[in-house]
Amino acid sequence: MEGITLDLLALQIFTGLALGAIYVLMALGMSLLFGMLTVVNFAHGAFYMVGAYVAVALLGLGANFWVCLFFAPILVGLLGMLVERVLIRPLYGRGIDYPLLLTFGLSYVMIEAVRILFGTTGISFDTPDVLVGAADIGIGYFPIYRLFVIGVAAAAVLGLWLFLERTPYGLIIRAGARDPQIVRILGIDVGRVWLVVFGIGTGLAALAGMLAAPLQGASPEMGDSVLAIAFVVTVVGGMGSLLGAVLAGLLVGVVVSLASLFAPEMAQVSIFALMAVVLIIRPQGFFGRAGLMS
Amino acid sequence: MSDLILETIGVGKKFGRFVALRDITAGFQRGQLTGIIGPNGAGKSTYFNMLSGAFPPTTGRILFEGRDITATPQHRFARLGIAKSFQITSLFPQLGTLENVRVALQAMHSRYDVWRARTRLHGLVEQAGALLEKVGLWPRRDRLAATLSHGEQRALEIAMALACDPRLLLLDEPTAGMSPEETRASMDLIVRLAAERTVILVEHKMKLVMGICDRLLVLHHGELLAEGTPAEIRVNETVKRVYLGQREH
Amino acid sequence: MGATTLRGTSRHDWMALAVRHRVLLSAVFLLVFPMLMPFKAIAVNILIYGLFAVGFNMLYGYLGLLSFGHAALFGGGAYACGIVMTRFGLPWWLGVIAAIGAGALIAAVMGGLAVRTRGIYFAMVTLALAQCVFYLAYQAGGVTGGENGLRGIVLEHIGPLDFLDPVTRYYVVAAFVVAALFALSRILASPFGAAMEALRENEARARACGFDVRTTRWLAFVLSGAFCGLAGAMQALHLGIVPIEMLSYQTSGTVVMMALLGGMGTFFGPFVGAGLFLLLENIVSLYTVHWQLLVGGVFIACVLFFPRGVWGTLLHALNRA
Repeated sequence: MEGITLDLLALQIFTGLALGAIYVLMALGMSLLFGMLTVVNFAHGAFYMVGAYVAVALLGLGANFWVCLFFAPILVGLLGMLVERVLIRPLYGRGIDYPLLLTFGLSYVMIEAVRILFGTTGISFDTPDVLVGAADIGIGYFPIYRLFVIGVAAAAVLGLWLFLERTPYGLIIRAGARDPQIVRILGIDVGRVWLVVFGIGTGLAALAGMLAAPLQGASPEMGDSVLAIAFVVTVVGGMGSLLGAVLAGLLVGVVVSLASLFAPEMAQVSIFALMAVVLIIRPQGFFGRAGLMS
Repeated sequence: MSDLILETIGVGKKFGRFVALRDITAGFQRGQLTGIIGPNGAGKSTYFNMLSGAFPPTTGRILFEGRDITATPQHRFARLGIAKSFQITSLFPQLGTLENVRVALQAMHSRYDVWRARTRLHGLVEQAGALLEKVGLWPRRDRLAATLSHGEQRALEIAMALACDPRLLLLDEPTAGMSPEETRASMDLIVRLAAERTVILVEHKMKLVMGICDRLLVLHHGELLAEGTPAEIRVNETVKRVYLGQREH
Repeated sequence: MGATTLRGTSRHDWMALAVRHRVLLSAVFLLVFPMLMPFKAIAVNILIYGLFAVGFNMLYGYLGLLSFGHAALFGGGAYACGIVMTRFGLPWWLGVIAAIGAGALIAAVMGGLAVRTRGIYFAMVTLALAQCVFYLAYQAGGVTGGENGLRGIVLEHIGPLDFLDPVTRYYVVAAFVVAALFALSRILASPFGAAMEALRENEARARACGFDVRTTRWLAFVLSGAFCGLAGAMQALHLGIVPIEMLSYQTSGTVVMMALLGGMGTFFGPFVGAGLFLLLENIVSLYTVHWQLLVGGVFIACVLFFPRGVWGTLLHALNRA
């Protein structure tokens, strides 16, 4: 393969980081839900998809891109909280498989509901004018929108980190993840903590879906393939580890991106090969605590 | 001079930064009944779990009949000839009492046979019956294990441990949570078992083991404090100091 | 099941008798089943998906391992059967054998990786590996037909039997299903079946007894793959084409729903579940294309209120009465 220069390679890695940024948001939400609530959310891909469609609906109502960016995650987060309260809550303490199975059934309902409301074909999603075009980033021209995706994801990760580490509420969430009993003894309503965590997790998925929409359009099935990739990222990074989710998400993005440069037909398969290698070498993932696996 | 069935050489265990056990070098004589004692948090359970292969030590080596078993996975232990009973009763609750023992016996003979009828395996049902007889559970053979009394469940566990005809039997607090009668019955059973094989038991209640053990190991703060016959341990000044003021249950 | 009961009431004797002759019972039932069905066309589908669910149930029902990647075994079997017949021009029965082998082989590889993980990881890893198989089949268009599916699998006659006749076809597939149920019954009654029970009951104790947890799980995965591969072959012969969707995530999800609807860990549950699911799908799709909405809703209700499934709930009630 001639013509692959260092610059091209660097650009491709950058493209991978943009892709990875979306995976990071997905995996962060999943990891948060698992780490705090031991819920594996099989509807996470559906929340991602709904995020994109809520933005479509808001645009249809005359809102601009920036309003969507702000409100789509919040609205989907509220939907997530409703789901937690009504459907997931009765299942706590009934075994780890039940929330998983329930959210799987929920994904069917959400996808079909979107098909009924918006039709079965995909909808294109315009990039806002200010983010159209490419900017010179030193190694070559790079689409501004992808830079923007990386920026938003970084801001979201930073925000989440600050929230968890620096606010009293974050402290409660972290304590609740370690030992719900202690939080309860302190007189804090654990149920409300879980509600908020579910809202944040699904909101992050919606943000990812909304950011992905201008890149690939919105379709009812857009969440399915992302769900599998989010699983790979969580397995590679280590379930319940936020740092693991960030690093593994970026890594998977870069691997896909490089694979599609060198062997396009193997781009998808390479993700799963990466997971297989990690499983063989370190079954609990980069940052996974072995205890969480059982 | 001696025939050691089990040796630990410089064995230690850390959980994260916490040192649970430090540099234990000890040997266990074949044919003897050895008790591992010590106050709460002395590291008895950690030591026991490493002897029985539940997890490997951080440092040091464990030898069984001269063979290094430090990294041997747990499921090989039964076939090597080491069996254990758990501190918290651990059975197959929804299987019958006889079936519990039969499954344990079967693990020695047939693990991956997908075609023959399990009832056709020669003599396993009879052997299981004989083991139930030995621990006094024959009348209970058709009950679900979950419906047995606590004492009966402990006896069933011992029958299951005996299923691999172990040369070394490891018992973790075999009388925990038992009534005085049950405790006496189970001590009798242990003495009988010790007559035909090597037994190591972990016990919190010092008085119980003093009368029946050939040899005692005393652990304290994760270290080996003393070792000797019950008579020697009884007069050992350090041991006295550790147990001084500590109420016996 | 299999446990000795406390009271020897006549009902329990009947139940025990039914359990002992469950293969015979299912053979008799499958013989008359087409006559009971309001929608005869889906009787064959129920057989095939029921068998697929039986294979899935082997892992989740008997070992508690929730796989979301069984499409790879089902679809893999179908492709193997189709490739043997169309690309190599070999007879159909070699296709069936190849399908069983392919199901077991894919399961051996997937299982080899998945049993390294525990608990909740298992579902995620199996799903991801099945996606990998999907993309491989998608890319290898020269062999698999890619997104158009593998076409041209033709089976008209089996000896004197006319496979194109729907009734004959039903009984041919039913014969394979009964054979598979016989094999399943043997496996459950075998020493390995006892090892599976022990593992499900108490993993730590099973390990202390000398059972290797990973190898036992792996072997169960391989056996499950063989059953699903056979189901895949039946599907390929029935449809005459292997659509790429057989390998999709939705197919894996369908079998999970069927098994749960019917009742996990029961012998007949998978068939009851497959039947209910397909009937529901067929009836609802007469009225609306959005049948998935209802199926998803029914499944959610099932998880919330009937985790034992329809057949499992029935058995539970009978056992307690």
